Amino acid sequence: MAQFLQQIVNGLSIGSVYALMAVGYSLVYSIMNFSNFAHGGVIMFGAYFGFFAMTLLKLPFLAAFALSFTGTALLALLIERIAYKPLRERRAPFLYFIISAMGASIFLENIVIATIGPTFRTYPKVFSRTAIALGSIAVGRLDLIMFFVSAISLALLVLFIEKTKMGKAIQASAYNMKAAALMGVNTDQIVMIVFILGGILAGIAGVFFGMKYTVYPQIGNITTKSFVAAVFGGLGSLPGAVLGSVLLGIIETMVAGYLSSQFRDLIAFVILIAVLVFRPSGIMGKISEEKA
Amino acid sequence: MDAYLEGILILSGINLIAVMGLCLLTGFAGLFSFGHAGFMAIGAYTAAIFTKMLGLPFVFGIAASAVSAAIVSWLIGMATLKLKGDYFCIATLGFGEAIRLILDNFQGLGGSRGWPGIPASSTLLNIVILDIIGVVLIANLVRSRHGRNMIAVREEELAAQVAGINTYKYKMLALVISAAYAGVAGALLGHYMTFIQPKMFSMVKSTELTIIVIFGGLGSISGSVIGAVVLTFLPELLRVVDKWRLVAYGMAVIAIMIGRPRGLMGGFELTPASFRKLFAERKAAREIKAASRLYSDDDSAQGAGR
Amino acid sequence: MSNILEIKGLTKRFGGLAAVDNVDFDVREGGITGLIGPNGAGKTTIFNLITGVYKVSSGNVFFRQKDITNTEPYLVADYGITRTFQNIRLFKNLNVFENVLTACHASAKYGLAESFLRLPRFRKEELALKKKAMDLLDYMGLADRKDAIANGLPYGLQRRLEITRALALDPKLLLLDEPAAGMNPDETEQLMKLIANIRDRFNLTVLVIEHHMDLVMGVCEHIVVLNFGKKLSEGRAEEIRGNKQVIEAYLGGEHAEC
Repeated sequence: MAQFLQQIVNGLSIGSVYALMAVGYSLVYSIMNFSNFAHGGVIMFGAYFGFFAMTLLKLPFLAAFALSFTGTALLALLIERIAYKPLRERRAPFLYFIISAMGASIFLENIVIATIGPTFRTYPKVFSRTAIALGSIAVGRLDLIMFFVSAISLALLVLFIEKTKMGKAIQASAYNMKAAALMGVNTDQIVMIVFILGGILAGIAGVFFGMKYTVYPQIGNITTKSFVAAVFGGLGSLPGAVLGSVLLGIIETMVAGYLSSQFRDLIAFVILIAVLVFRPSGIMGKISEEKA
Repeated sequence: MDAYLEGILILSGINLIAVMGLCLLTGFAGLFSFGHAGFMAIGAYTAAIFTKMLGLPFVFGIAASAVSAAIVSWLIGMATLKLKGDYFCIATLGFGEAIRLILDNFQGLGGSRGWPGIPASSTLLNIVILDIIGVVLIANLVRSRHGRNMIAVREEELAAQVAGINTYKYKMLALVISAAYAGVAGALLGHYMTFIQPKMFSMVKSTELTIIVIFGGLGSISGSVIGAVVLTFLPELLRVVDKWRLVAYGMAVIAIMIGRPRGLMGGFELTPASFRKLFAERKAAREIKAASRLYSDDDSAQGAGR
Repeated sequence: MSNILEIKGLTKRFGGLAAVDNVDFDVREGGITGLIGPNGAGKTTIFNLITGVYKVSSGNVFFRQKDITNTEPYLVADYGITRTFQNIRLFKNLNVFENVLTACHASAKYGLAESFLRLPRFRKEELALKKKAMDLLDYMGLADRKDAIANGLPYGLQRRLEITRALALDPKLLLLDEPAAGMNPDETEQLMKLIANIRDRFNLTVLVIEHHMDLVMGVCEHIVVLNFGKKLSEGRAEEIRGNKQVIEAYLGGEHAEC
């Protein structure tokens, strides 16, 4: 039982970081109606920003953290302006957005390899590695902080979307971009805000992944799992993205704990296939009919 | 022939086969795959099982590689092609990663350390023959009603449907054919290198293939052929700046999508008839532009009147 | 005359809102029927339900006595119903000829292997398809534009091309969604004649959604009026013209302003 609880706690921790990525991706998806496959590159930059802020600039952790997610917010915005905006204005087909995203993704990954190199780097120690005992289970300090920071970030995002005028405009645009524009919503501004929000979440996720594992140019590939989590929860649904991520995190740690760690990465794809075959709309989502 | 030059020619020929398949899938049917290296992997391992383990002739290995990749793609298509395009993309992304993870952990086929000792059956001759067959088949297909139906799916899916085109069937057809091509390319690669390893078929390989199709121009067969040869030679010529190559590719892909989405060839095919047509079209385009200007003035006046 | 299409109790709900609410009407074979009503009356939704683009919430669609409710769009086209779209949907980057040629696909029977290898049947049938496409373009007056890219055509010709593409399928029932939208009176007049001509020459039935009352009254033998997703009235043109409810539905907004 204690081991089971331990797995749940570990799963929640990793799942909450998946949720940061999946929510950022779903947010953009709900507005732009296409999958931003360059999201992984932004997360990777977040990990590097945090790393260099602490090692080169010798900034304290919190300052490095803030610098990182500010940087990724700007980066996400820059990608939108350069790679997507011209396509949006031309009403280019879906395929072009995906290809442009792929281009951005290749560029981001390889500019890092070309300049900084492909080496693995380890974050300086921030939190003590001794675990905190909660009854019979032990929780790593980093895991605990990851969980709480992710939860707070997501709560703030929900507050922003539910309570502010801008948030309402985002909701309206997600529902129907054209109608929102007719009602006086500045949709270009909405797209920018959404990319900034996605970028912030990506930066937070990047720093945490860098601290939990290491920093390397392909770390962005981990977003594949957040895409799976988003589909699992229901593509385009924010609560779905959170639920899918947390469940994926828990299932992964369970599989690693009880079966074999080799299957840990594979289980995401088993889930993906199962969802696509049996319930493509995911846990929370619904498939809407295309407007003719 | 110079062994070094021959080696690059062989690799371009192998890439060309995989690229032809992707050209059909992405350029003509408008579907985007992140996982074509996965189909190459399936082809490479299946062919190696046939020739190395079962001792069968290479032809059987090639046929089996095409069939096995086609079957797997058919399963993926069944799960995703009735859904929105994003699902297909995510599924191919997942598939490409999953197939690598499975092969990494499958010790019977060498696991992550790779599988050596595959017969060296790929030669420049049999690759060139397969290239020619491959290009001719696709060129014939896209100029048939089946090919036109695929293009219609790319252009306007809903209109294609109400024009009696079973869009699911034609997406599936494009996917299965392109996967079979990738499978054959994988088989040829394995039997040229005489060694296969899961990481040879990573996502980087998939994106490199897609980049070739995009450079050549979506919907241009001759563009894909030229792209496959040029972009396989280019890294060899640019050895010194190799680490900047993919940086440049990434930027170029975005630039092409923004500025010239039909690629460097612009959907233009290298045939005598196309040259003649080019001049006729230029002229027609000018006339239409002039005519539509007149018309749109008319139109807006109408709109205001109502 | 028999009915080619029968709509019975057709309903479509989006969420809680009924866009089409328990609508019944018939379309007589060989006739030109008009479907009219103010914006948001559910006209296009009915087209989407007939052609299988939307799933029906309840009710049925019968085509030649056969129940075709919730049939896949491409099968509906196979049965002999085809349509145009309010916001024109051409194969934009293809030229005029290719747009029509693509839609001729059902007239050929050659298979995949024959395409790959360009076998004799492929050649023979391709020639026939090309001739058919060219004949259609000739008839519709688009032959001189056959090499123009669809997207670059003037608006009126795009609409004409969309109708040509629909005719390439040899439909029994042609659904036209606001074919005269954005046209001036002259063009509308021409279009009216064209629609009547098409009906006679291709021996088909037409159901047309239209805002231009001139066009509807001039060419339609039978008219169905919709308002707020419900059928308001139905009858011959002159009956509809005098119908108080219809006038109110159309002019209601302006009365309030007066």
